[in-house]
Amino acid sequence: MAALTRSMPGFPRVLARLFAIQAAWNSERMQGVGFGYAAEPALRALEGGAGGERYRAALGRQCAFFNAHPYLAGLAVGASVRAELEGAPVEKMERLRGALCGPLGSLGDRLFWASWLPACAAIGIILAAFGAGMWAPLAFLALYNVGHVVARVWALRAGWRRGAMVALALSAPPVRLASRIAAPLAGVAVGFAIPVAFARQTAGAPLWAYASAAGGAVLVAALLRLGLIRVGAATVCAVILGATWVLGMLWF
Amino acid sequence: MSWLEVAIVLAMGTLVGLDQASVPQVMLSRPLVAGSLGGLAVGHPLQGLAIGVLLELFALETLPVGGARYSDWGPGSVAVGALMGMHWNGIEASALLGLVLVAVATAWVSGWLILAVRRLNVGDVAARRSALDAGDLGAVLAVQRAGLLRDAVRGLGLTAVALGAGDLVHHLLETSWRGPQWPAQLALVTTSVGVALYAGWRLAGLGRHALWFVGGLGAGTVGALLWLR
Repeated sequence: MAALTRSMPGFPRVLARLFAIQAAWNSERMQGVGFGYAAEPALRALEGGAGGERYRAALGRQCAFFNAHPYLAGLAVGASVRAELEGAPVEKMERLRGALCGPLGSLGDRLFWASWLPACAAIGIILAAFGAGMWAPLAFLALYNVGHVVARVWALRAGWRRGAMVALALSAPPVRLASRIAAPLAGVAVGFAIPVAFARQTAGAPLWAYASAAGGAVLVAALLRLGLIRVGAATVCAVILGATWVLGMLWF
Repeated sequence: MSWLEVAIVLAMGTLVGLDQASVPQVMLSRPLVAGSLGGLAVGHPLQGLAIGVLLELFALETLPVGGARYSDWGPGSVAVGALMGMHWNGIEASALLGLVLVAVATAWVSGWLILAVRRLNVGDVAARRSALDAGDLGAVLAVQRAGLLRDAVRGLGLTAVALGAGDLVHHLLETSWRGPQWPAQLALVTTSVGVALYAGWRLAGLGRHALWFVGGLGAGTVGALLWLR
């Protein structure tokens, strides 16, 4: 199937609706209903128009189970919409949707949740620690959302253009490059932010306080990472902070 | 805090609650932003930013992966950011500890509430299953709207509870903390930096990516020594 050059009908509305693909997330269809909601403006181009027989059948199909990273779900939406408009066999469309869930989920989680988000958050922390004031959260939002929005737009366009060959888009050079540099970038940024944040919080403190705080932080990190305590980080924090509170109240 | 400020804080908390997983996921829900928004609501964004940065260290550990249960830091951060802004002329470490504890507890509870919202969404989908399968646009819109409404109520409720709890805790600690402030400061630094270190370590893993993380730690230490001391 050759790459398509004409634009998707209703592209701006489909793109806007993709931002709400998780609005009704549930364990039965996961993002399914949101998927159908996002694809709907493009399905109006089917023969019979909105409300026609083909439109209703397509919308019903596109509301079936689906789950992937929300920023990359556009790849599947674009490909599915193209398949509907070209009248592809139903089994082929269903196979395509199902096959995309895993790769889009794992790629998106690796690129965004485990890399781009912590990297940008760390940059925000660093800027704040160095006195950037409100520029810190603004820089975080700007930087993060450039990557975020570019990904959404690219995904929807690539899915529409590639159609059933959408898997080729996942091995495109920009995606391969992003996959290579994402984790190292996050590692460096988060690593840099930690001592900077520590220094900012302990500014002016005596040496014993530095040592105690640093030792305590390393101990907390080690206990959590090595699985020596079987509760989550939030519980550990609540226990330490709560215990300190009690200590402070009872101090004598 | 005036009623107008309370209303603005609640509205912001609702929006950041929606942003976490429903719409539009542009990371307004991150503490760095949400705390600043809370402070901005009462006219003191920098104070909100200060607690937002501290909470962001905790939130580095949170990965909002699909169906898993994860903490939602947004509503709690907005509430405590606003409370920090109310005390713009200074806050003791003990009171700050209390606000952080409220934010941590709120984030933890919100994770369970997200699951509850999703269970209600399942009920909605089940009730409209045949209409959805038949391609009824009205059913699709109804399910989407209901999901958004439930998540909005979740965010609003959490913000309100965090605001009330934070105010109470702040008052309690101000009036009854008897010890010096250093244990509170120590606990805050230890937990926040400890969780951030754990988060970074977990993300880096044990392979060659860990070298990048260690390199970042080294560079950050040099940077901190040169510019922040």
